[in-house]
Amino acid sequence: MKVYLGEFEELVLLTIATLGDEAYGVAIKESIEQRCDREISIGALHSTITRLEEKGLLKSWMGGATQERGGRRKRFYEITPAGKNALTTTKNQRDELWSLSKIQLSPSK
Amino acid sequence: MKQHHPPRLAEKIFSWYCGLAKIEDLQGDTEEIFYHNLKTKSPLRAKLIYCKQVTSLIFSYAIRKRKKDARYGVYSSHSFHFAMLRNYIKIAVRNIYRHKYFSLINVIGLSIGMSVSLLLISLLAYVKSYDDFHLNKNHIYTISSHYKEGVEEYDLSSSPIVLADKIKNEFAGAEQLVRINSSFNGKVVLKNENIPLRGYYADPGFLSLFTFHLLEGNPSLVLSQANSIVLTETAAIKLFGRTDVVGKIVEMEDAGSFQVTGLLKDYSKNSHLKFEALVSYSSLPVSTSSAEDQWTNYRNQYIYVYLPDAQAENKMQDYLNRVAEKTYTTFPTKVTFVVRPLSGLVTKDLRNAIGPKWEASGFWVFGLIALLILLPACFNYTNISIARALKRSKEIGLRKTMGGQKDQIFIQFLMETIIITLISLVGALLLFLVGRSEFQSMLVDAASTDLSLNVKNVALFVAFALLTGTIAGILPAFYFARLNPIQALKSQVQGNFFSGMRLRKILTAFQFALTFGFILCLVVFGRQYRYSLHYDFGFHKENILNVALKHSNAQIAKTEFSKIASVQTVSLSSGRLGLGAPTTRVRHTDSTDSSEVAQLFIDDQFIPNFGLKLIAGSNFQNENFAEEQSIIVNEQFLKAFKVKHAQDVIGQTYTVDGKELKVIGVLNDFHFSSLMVPIKPFFFRTNPAEYQIANLKIVSDDAYGSVTAIENAWKGMGQDEKMEARFFDDEIDEAYDFYETLLKIVGFLGLLALSISLLGLLGMVVYTSENRTKEVGIRKVMGASNFSITVLLSREYIKMMLIASAIAIPITIAGLEFTLPNIQHYYTSVNAWDVLLSLFILLAMGLATLSSQTLKTASTNPADTLKQE
Repeated sequence: MKVYLGEFEELVLLTIATLGDEAYGVAIKESIEQRCDREISIGALHSTITRLEEKGLLKSWMGGATQERGGRRKRFYEITPAGKNALTTTKNQRDELWSLSKIQLSPSK
Repeated sequence: MKQHHPPRLAEKIFSWYCGLAKIEDLQGDTEEIFYHNLKTKSPLRAKLIYCKQVTSLIFSYAIRKRKKDARYGVYSSHSFHFAMLRNYIKIAVRNIYRHKYFSLINVIGLSIGMSVSLLLISLLAYVKSYDDFHLNKNHIYTISSHYKEGVEEYDLSSSPIVLADKIKNEFAGAEQLVRINSSFNGKVVLKNENIPLRGYYADPGFLSLFTFHLLEGNPSLVLSQANSIVLTETAAIKLFGRTDVVGKIVEMEDAGSFQVTGLLKDYSKNSHLKFEALVSYSSLPVSTSSAEDQWTNYRNQYIYVYLPDAQAENKMQDYLNRVAEKTYTTFPTKVTFVVRPLSGLVTKDLRNAIGPKWEASGFWVFGLIALLILLPACFNYTNISIARALKRSKEIGLRKTMGGQKDQIFIQFLMETIIITLISLVGALLLFLVGRSEFQSMLVDAASTDLSLNVKNVALFVAFALLTGTIAGILPAFYFARLNPIQALKSQVQGNFFSGMRLRKILTAFQFALTFGFILCLVVFGRQYRYSLHYDFGFHKENILNVALKHSNAQIAKTEFSKIASVQTVSLSSGRLGLGAPTTRVRHTDSTDSSEVAQLFIDDQFIPNFGLKLIAGSNFQNENFAEEQSIIVNEQFLKAFKVKHAQDVIGQTYTVDGKELKVIGVLNDFHFSSLMVPIKPFFFRTNPAEYQIANLKIVSDDAYGSVTAIENAWKGMGQDEKMEARFFDDEIDEAYDFYETLLKIVGFLGLLALSISLLGLLGMVVYTSENRTKEVGIRKVMGASNFSITVLLSREYIKMMLIASAIAIPITIAGLEFTLPNIQHYYTSVNAWDVLLSLFILLAMGLATLSSQTLKTASTNPADTLKQE
């Protein structure tokens, strides 16, 4: 099955990958905000996460009770093998395009 | 340090919106962000961000998906399906059809309830449409005056006409200024008779400022010449019987002749300017009065001006403020001018308005009444629907089990109500069409009110029906939406606030309280009317014929009338007693304090003729009336001038209109004005020049013969005018005619409220009787009598009526005791008989309705009912 990743979807997946065991809502949001210097709403983030889950690229589980956030549990996310495949496919496509480029794309050092 | 929390309302809304969906992690996320923000940002800012986050979540796909996952059944969906809509309509129609009896009760009740509101809506729409046919409607302004002298202060819609010239000369940007003088009002001399014609003197710019369509003539020229007149089509046909009238001459009785220069198409009724003819302003005789008079004369003078935008309006207002300030520095009166836009002008409370006046307060009262009629009808629906919940609970249980969501059930029941109200709208429309003309005749400006149906009105009506449906259906819809599917399927409808008898009792009690209020008002107003008619005014009003003197000589008329056999005495007066009198300022000759005192001019026969009682001094003697010397005062006059004993005032002189007049008599107080106002200081004077009416005391039983004899005498005096004679008691009674209208309105509304409440009662009692047939059967088998069962079934409702009346009595009495003195100063208080009579009427009607059902149920054969199932 072919899966296409949107820009934001890719960003979310990769961020989850970087966070490892600590990938839950707020952590993902803050990580993206810091790295990309852009403000994202929690609603938009969760919408994207929900869609990724529906596509089977992510899976989630509930963590244990927490001290902060009113004792509420966190939902952690993990990339599925399908997610990894989708990321690899995307990356390969990009790399191929970069290497085939007839002009100098990255600024010369 | 104060502990801050995320905004609780936002939290609540969020968890309410998500319902059964699992959102623990999302709540945790938002809360974590909040506490994180608290460290770096102000609490308020953190809260705002929290709200923003929650909102973004509510509208996000994440929540939609989670809610979908949390649904009851696999088929449920939150998206709105057309197929379901069709199903709702089908079920609603089947239900209406199957329960014909209840549907009929609901439709009749709602039709009645809505009909009054339809009248209000159409009237409001009409009043709102005033003057909307002018192309310049948003740019036309009128300049009105605010008048203040001493304690007197009011708004006038007119303004001194010299102001118009001043504006024209000094204010740049008021080129399109039109003066209107509404005093063109006289009779046109024709071959056979003289026909009255009303119109305006208007500047030539009139036809370009306002949009009145000229059929013949040049709009810029028709009003430019002196003695030009423009007729409307109707006026042309009235005067000449045809419309090709341009060039003809209109001969006015007092104002000379005018040439017809144009013909105007009849304008629509919703124009606040109402005229049959327009006359060039230059035809108006030039005023020769002093400057002060010109600045304080507002009569019939109106200024309209075209202002392009709000900025110009403000500039004009500033300019007018300066003018008023400069002009009225030396005058005793203080006047300011106000620029008012044309739209909404008819609803402003302005004195001497050029057109009709639709006061906003009247609409509030009308709106309240319409609501008081509409709400009971809505409550009927609410009551009957909830009472019948048991019958629908299986359907709802099934729907919910199959995946029906709360909001879908809600929409279904709301739609059912709306279908009922739309059917009722047809009934209401029929009632509206029937009652329209009667309603119109009660309005201030009946002739020019147009309540005909048009697309806009019908659209408003439908919107109103939707709103009514929502009001009536929202409680049942909520109730049904909240039902627990398991209990609903088992027909175990739990008794919470909505289903429990409590809400229904409150609503029914409200209806009865309202009905009782209307009945009591009707009874009290009726008694008030009779009270006013039989009130002792302090003078005789029987057998007196008032004849208007018109141009005839008072003394000759008196002599001629006295010769008639059936006429006992004849007196002369300047006005009619009991219907008010003009006032003048009076001061004691030795003092400077003046008072407002009402006056009438009479002759020496007047006081005995009307049976007025002197308590001191004497009547006017045979003195020279033309040279006024003496006056006769009433008791209030003494009070106003702080005289203790009636005897003390005899011989005192008072200055009136520059004359020194001596008091020769004091009269008992009598109602020279209507009963609506308290008796005020009053005195009689004797100036033959002021006489306008001959008061003939008739002693014959043959009223017709007497009037004929008087008419002959009138003709014998060489009068070519028609005699105008009225019996005095008729004239007095006529002043209280408004009670009849009031009684008609209150009676009609009371009837509506009563029939709606009774319909509701009928619905409820039919339902209870149906539900309790088995119980009744068992009771009868066990030996209960028909009577005891009837009592059993009616008891609850009778109790409710009594409680409702107990609540309504103090409220209604307080309302009436507040209203009555405002209608009439001399009024009769509500008494116990009024209350008892009203209570009797309510109970009698209620019992009749109840017994129609309970008797039937009680007398059924238990063998039949128990076999049922």
